[in-house]
Amino acid sequence: MEFFLEQILNGLVYGVLLFLTAAGLSLIFGLMNVVSLAHGSFFMMGGYVAYSLYRLTGSFWAALLLAPVPIVAAGVAMEVIFLRPLYRRGHLDQVLLTFGFTFIFLDAVQTIWGRDVLALPPPAVFDGVVALGTGVFSSYRLFLIGFGLAIALLLWLFLDRSQLGARVRAGVDDAAMAGGLGCNISALFTAIFGAGVALAALGGVAAGPIFGIYPGEDAEILIPAFIVIVVGGMGSLRGAFVGSLLIGEADTFGNAYMPQLALFLIYLVMAIVLLVRPQGLFGIKHGLAASPSGSTPAAPLPSRRALAIGLIGVAALVIYPLLVADYQRSLVTELLIFAIVAMSLDLLLGFTGLMSLGHAAFFGLGAYVVIVLGTFFDFNAWFGVALGIGAAALAALVIGYFCVRASGIPFLMLTLAFSQLVYSVALKWRDVTGGSDGIGLAVKPSLFGFTLSNSLTMYFVALFFFVLCFLGLRRLVSSPLGRVFIGIRENEARMLAIGYATRRYKLASFTIGGAVAGLAGGLYAVFNGFISPDAVYWSASGDILIMVMLGGAGTLLGPVFGAAAFLLMKNLVSTYSEHWLAIIGVVFVACVLFFPGGFWGTLRQVRIMTREKVPA
Amino acid sequence: MSVLRTESLYCAFGSLVVTKDVTLTVIKGERHVIIGPNGAGKTSLLNQIGGQLHAGRGRILLGGTDITQWPPNRIAQSGIARTFQRNNLFPNLTVLENLCLAVEARRGRPWDFFSLADHRHAVIRRAEALLAQVHIAGDASRPVHNLSYGEQRQLEIGLALAGEPTLLLLDEPTSGMSPAETKSMIALIASLPRTLSILMIEHDMNVVFTVADRITVFYYGEVLASGPPAEIRNDRRVREIYLGMED
Amino acid sequence: MAGARAGPKLPGRLRMLELDGIHTYYGDSHVLRGVSLSVGAGEVVCLLGRNGAGKTTTILTAMGYVKPRTGRIAYRARNITALRPFEIARLGVGYVPQERGIFPSLTVVENLTVFARGTRRGRWTLPRIFALFPVLEARVGHLGFQLSGGEQQMLSIARALMLNPTLLLLDEPSEGLAPMILQQIVTAIKSLRNEGLAILLVEQNLRTALALGDRHHVLNKGEICYTGSSAELGGNDTVLRDYLSV
Ligand SMILES: Nc1ncnc2c1ncn2[C@@H]1O[C@H](COP(=O)(O)OP(=O)(O)OP(=O)(O)O)[C@@H](O)[C@H]1O
Ligand SMILES: Nc1ncnc2c1ncn2[C@@H]1O[C@H](COP(=O)(O)OP(=O)(O)OP(=O)(O)O)[C@@H](O)[C@H]1O
Ligand SMILES: [Mg+2]
Ligand SMILES: [Mg+2]
Repeated sequence: MEFFLEQILNGLVYGVLLFLTAAGLSLIFGLMNVVSLAHGSFFMMGGYVAYSLYRLTGSFWAALLLAPVPIVAAGVAMEVIFLRPLYRRGHLDQVLLTFGFTFIFLDAVQTIWGRDVLALPPPAVFDGVVALGTGVFSSYRLFLIGFGLAIALLLWLFLDRSQLGARVRAGVDDAAMAGGLGCNISALFTAIFGAGVALAALGGVAAGPIFGIYPGEDAEILIPAFIVIVVGGMGSLRGAFVGSLLIGEADTFGNAYMPQLALFLIYLVMAIVLLVRPQGLFGIKHGLAASPSGSTPAAPLPSRRALAIGLIGVAALVIYPLLVADYQRSLVTELLIFAIVAMSLDLLLGFTGLMSLGHAAFFGLGAYVVIVLGTFFDFNAWFGVALGIGAAALAALVIGYFCVRASGIPFLMLTLAFSQLVYSVALKWRDVTGGSDGIGLAVKPSLFGFTLSNSLTMYFVALFFFVLCFLGLRRLVSSPLGRVFIGIRENEARMLAIGYATRRYKLASFTIGGAVAGLAGGLYAVFNGFISPDAVYWSASGDILIMVMLGGAGTLLGPVFGAAAFLLMKNLVSTYSEHWLAIIGVVFVACVLFFPGGFWGTLRQVRIMTREKVPA
Repeated sequence: MSVLRTESLYCAFGSLVVTKDVTLTVIKGERHVIIGPNGAGKTSLLNQIGGQLHAGRGRILLGGTDITQWPPNRIAQSGIARTFQRNNLFPNLTVLENLCLAVEARRGRPWDFFSLADHRHAVIRRAEALLAQVHIAGDASRPVHNLSYGEQRQLEIGLALAGEPTLLLLDEPTSGMSPAETKSMIALIASLPRTLSILMIEHDMNVVFTVADRITVFYYGEVLASGPPAEIRNDRRVREIYLGMED
Repeated sequence: MAGARAGPKLPGRLRMLELDGIHTYYGDSHVLRGVSLSVGAGEVVCLLGRNGAGKTTTILTAMGYVKPRTGRIAYRARNITALRPFEIARLGVGYVPQERGIFPSLTVVENLTVFARGTRRGRWTLPRIFALFPVLEARVGHLGFQLSGGEQQMLSIARALMLNPTLLLLDEPSEGLAPMILQQIVTAIKSLRNEGLAILLVEQNLRTALALGDRHHVLNKGEICYTGSSAELGGNDTVLRDYLSV
């Protein structure tokens, strides 16, 4: 019983800490509806700056008060210069941009402070322990609880009493209209964004004495904070508070009583909440369609010229491996495989409007099936690939069945939750998957007598499937069924009203996408001969998402180039420069700014515009 | 012969009752117009028939079938098409693509994943015919968000007609239309075959009295009066609560 | 506002809004072709015309949402062509857009009060709004998206009044309103005019327009093809037939 009480208290502390980190996000994401992945970075940088200030002044309090200042300056600069033009462009561009900034910030932090864990001591007053009942409790943790409650109260006064919250919601609902009523929305948003960053920095300082300060803490805090907002309900401060406590307790109890499941428990809580109340515990249910996805016109029919260019491209891909060494050959093989995954995600994201952050699960499933069956049952790899496609399709059908009830951000978070379930299984089911060590194939499979350890054979196999998938998906998106997908992306409610069973179609899209990703996973297994849980972690899904966005969602060919660009950068830049993180970040940022809708999307837009001008 | 019949339909948002045991019949071929003050529950009634809103109690019968609990897509497939009071289109798609989607839903093969949508000539021809029918002039390859508000209203009706309905539900079809377009809307409605029944909400009295075979007056969730236009025009209560001093 | 005395067109009246030779484009399409008009204090000016004639575009241009390629917009003789919508609104312009622009996730009261201005000295306060539109009082706790179409329309008009404007731009305010409410609005607009407000009104309902307008401009394909008073327009069968097909 005492253990139980202690867990409750621990959960409370963790919950309040979560609230401190999520409070800023509740302004930026919850209220302003801006997806800022850089939020974790501001949190982390708050800790680092506080560390330096502490070394300088020797006072924790000075550090706590002053650290937010430079962070807010950086955040506001980012908002004004880069983020502001993106508010109307929807969530995806914001994701790509702020993802780029997380790289830049991380690189900056590592350059300035190094990679070690730094310790920030708690202030002297709170450096002791307090007896609580029969146990003891660090007084700094008690201080944190009070601090969190104070922040909550302040925020509540600030938002509810001053109508500032209502103003921001009005601006989010209809920025043009708010402007027409005399509100300077840009200035208001900058102010609120700044406040959100300040809270993140404060949270980072406050958490310093408990967690330590280290690179990577940004990503660790980001996902739980987003989960808290989604569980609590967008735009609801009360929601953020209750959500924090709920997630804090869930995580603490999970660790204490169900360590096997602990990793997954917060995702489970989120999935249950979202399935029962997609708007979150305290969120408002909107009767309106989701925000615009950014328009991509339907794919133009293949013209003669496009066909010619395509044939030249394929010819180049056929000749290429004959001219280069093994390493370059393997690199392009990998590109082709990931191009397949990226295209399959584009079917969901770009054509059906389903923002999935769990696509790597299907890729991983395809790969695991090939390797596990090959290792334990000596299955022929090709049979394995076929089974892998089936398994991925089946998983997509089941997962999709739950997910397609939601749309927009809830859909994204649900797919994230299910993919984390797959990740947990891959991690914990050691006997079969090898746990975190991963699992490898002893012998390379062969095809018609050619062994696939030959990089040339493998290359052509990948090329064959790539061309097949491209042509198949292209045909699909130009077919009546493809048009139905596009219609659902544009206005699901109206599709329903004109007679389409939209859930069924969304499920179809999700399943096809999953199956194609499974195929790519199978190929990857054959190619790489090894798979580990990293391949199904959420960040792997994030990578695929980035590939699609870099190239341009809704263009099919764009994601191919996106995948190529992404992998080349990862492979090449990292060997040439130690600041490769910053370089990738800058590329992402530049891409969002100069190529709205991805570079292929921009190219197509330009082409359409010039074509339209000719007859006029 | 009744096409549609609602029986003691009841629906409430919290304590606000929007339809209070509404019983209403639409006869085959009839032009049935619903009028009533703002917030009387007219749109909510249409939402219940169209499946966008589920009734708390009561039944909706289409022909003889109970469709009360059906989802909107199934209702659309069974021959009830509707327009919305607020334009509810596919703003980023072209005018023609909008119509093609609606045509394909009822007539076409939406699950076909292999033929090319742009080569479905029958569907496209039908969409073009609808375009002419609702008088949307100009380039059909314009994205819909470039249309003026009134033009979008016309497209609303085009989408509904594409569903080849036996019962057409129109929610203020002429609102936002200029007198010229209102006239052609009246002509359009007049030109529709009598095999088609129409249940329509309208505030423009010119339109109401030109089109209606029968008028039902809604008053805060209840049917206050129902009858032929002449009778409603002279009903004292209706004049008091709805028409005002007009005429 | 010295020097803002009216020119020859409007003797003895403060000229509140003036559009002068406005050409507006959407991309390459030339939508307004030299529109000039002015609205004086205590005056209702109506814009009429078919769907797609350019009425909304005229309002959007006046409000600063769309920038004209050439031409000048003045508010009380001050050039506002380059100002942004929020700056124009703050000068005392109330705007009721065609699609009502209700904030769906705000309650009725919040919609009314978030951006309200001058409610202390001003003439429009919540009680007065609720006296004009009793329905809104009965729905104070409703969220914007939960309102019926007509209720939204009333809210949109009420919200513009809560800014206590001196110039009102109304884009089809009568759309979707039941006849009774419409009559109330007509009365309200008349009394606003008598209080000295300047009103630019887009109106499809000819009867309403004739009842309200001091002057009418008929737009056709982006050009003003006819200007006249209610009596003139009402008696001009050719214009009514050719441009308004009444
Ligand atoms: N989702 C909802 N939640 C709560 N109340 C609602 C909701 N939808 C509508 N209402 C209320 O129900 C009442 C009836 O609305 P409805 O849209 O049916 O009116 P209407 O008769 O169509 O009016 P109008 O002529 O103005 O369009 C209104 O008072 C409205 O505020
Ligand atoms: N964003 C836009 N891009 C391109 N063209 C547009 C855009 N908005 C409107 N148009 C076109 O400009 C013309 C004028 O539109 P506007 O909305 O001003 O018409 P309106 O007179 O208000 O019509 P309605 O009575 O239907 O509201 C129309 O032909 C319309 O198709
Ligand atoms: Mg209605
Ligand atoms: Mg208009």
